[in-house]
Amino acid sequence: MTRALRSALLAVALGASPAVVLAQWLDYRTPGIPRTESGAPDLKAPAPRTRDGKPDFSGMWFANVPAKDYCKEKDCIQEERMAREQINLGIKLEGGLPYTDWSKEQMTKRRAHGGRDDPHTYCMPPNFPRAWTLPQYIKVIQTPTEMVLLHEFNAAYREIFIDGRALPENPNPTWNGYSSAHWEGDTLVIETNGIRDDMWLDIQGSPVTESARVTERLKRVNFGIMQVEIAVNDPKAYTRPWSVTVEMAMQVDTTMLEEICLDDEQDVKLYK
Amino acid sequence: MNSRSLTLLMLVGASVASAPPARAHHSQSEFDLRAKIEVDGTVTKLEWKSPHGRLYVDVKNEKGEVESWNFELPSPNTLMRRGWTRDTLKTGDRVKVAGAPARNFPTIAIATSIKDANDKPLFTGTTQIYEPEAEPKGAE
Repeated sequence: MTRALRSALLAVALGASPAVVLAQWLDYRTPGIPRTESGAPDLKAPAPRTRDGKPDFSGMWFANVPAKDYCKEKDCIQEERMAREQINLGIKLEGGLPYTDWSKEQMTKRRAHGGRDDPHTYCMPPNFPRAWTLPQYIKVIQTPTEMVLLHEFNAAYREIFIDGRALPENPNPTWNGYSSAHWEGDTLVIETNGIRDDMWLDIQGSPVTESARVTERLKRVNFGIMQVEIAVNDPKAYTRPWSVTVEMAMQVDTTMLEEICLDDEQDVKLYK
Repeated sequence: MNSRSLTLLMLVGASVASAPPARAHHSQSEFDLRAKIEVDGTVTKLEWKSPHGRLYVDVKNEKGEVESWNFELPSPNTLMRRGWTRDTLKTGDRVKVAGAPARNFPTIAIATSIKDANDKPLFTGTTQIYEPEAEPKGAE
C-alpha cells in the first residue's frame, strides 16, 4: 500500500480531514523534481546541477537500504531500515578494518559490552562520518561556498566550507571536526581534521581519533543516488589508510522530523 | 476494567524465530533476544517521544495481579513513516504484544509484534537488514 493511500484510508477511518492526518507534511509533494508520466519521482533522471554547473546535492538523503517486505511474510518486527555499515563500517572490506593493536582492543572491549559504552546510547551528537549510516534523514543545503548537513538525530548540523580555506592547524577537537571541500570534476572532495579522540565509527565501536584525516568524496550518480566514499587515514587507530563507500538514496515527497534523543532516553538504565 | 485476562508466556531460551530487532539507538544487548514474552492486555498509554516510542500495557498475571508492562517501540519518526500516529492506540485498547524482555527488569521489553484483539497486526513492515548471524569482519 502506498503511503498516500494508507494516509487516505486512515483519514477515512479516523473521520478526520486530510489536513489533519497529513500534518507535518509527511506526504507533501516535493516541487520541482523530475517525475515520470505517472507523476512518480524519476529517480533515474540525471543529477541536477547548480547555476554554476556543479552537481547539486541538495535534498534529503537516507542510506540506500534495499526494501524487502519482510513483515508481510513473518509475524513481524517493527524494524528500522538500517545500513549494515551502521554495525560495522568496514563490513564490506575484505579482511575488515585494519585495526592497530590499540584500536582492536578498544573495539573488542566495546563489542563485548554491547551498547553500554556507545556515545550514541547516551544521546550524544550524530558524529560524521558515522552519521551517514544512522537511520535518520540528512538534509543537504548547498550554496556555491558552503554545504550544510542537517541531521534529524538531535536536530544537529555540520558545516562544510567550499571557499578554499585551509584546514586549521592544531584545532580544538570537536564531534564533527573541521571540513573544507573542493571540486574535482563532478566530485565534491571534503577534507576533515580536528575530530575528537574518542569518537566511534559504528555500533561495534571502531575508533576514530584526533590523529585522523577523513576524506569524503561525494558523487551524485543520478537524481536518486549519491555515493559517499569515506576514506580514513588515522595512524593511531589503523595500520593503513582505508576507504568504504556508502550509498545514499534521495528522499522525496516527505519531510524531516526532529528526533531529540534526550527527550525520553530510557535504555541506559537497562544496562545496570 | 483496566485489564483483561491475559496469557503471559515466557519462552526463555527458545531460539529466535524471527530476526531480532535492530534499533536506531544502539545495540540491543540490554534485551535477551533469545527469550520471548507474549502478553494480552490493555493499553494504558502510548508514549510518543524520542528516541523510542513506548507502549504501556496492563496485564493480569497468573496470580491475578495487574502488572504494568513497558514496551519499547521504534522512534516516533519511524512509526510515523510507517503510517502510525500518536492516536493509533488509545487507552483501553486491547492488544497482544510479543517481545524480547530486558535482562534485568521483569516488566520491560522491546516489542517485536503488536496485534489488536482480532489478531490483526498493527505494525506494517518495512526492511529488516540487520543480520546478527553475519559476524562483522575484523571482530576477532
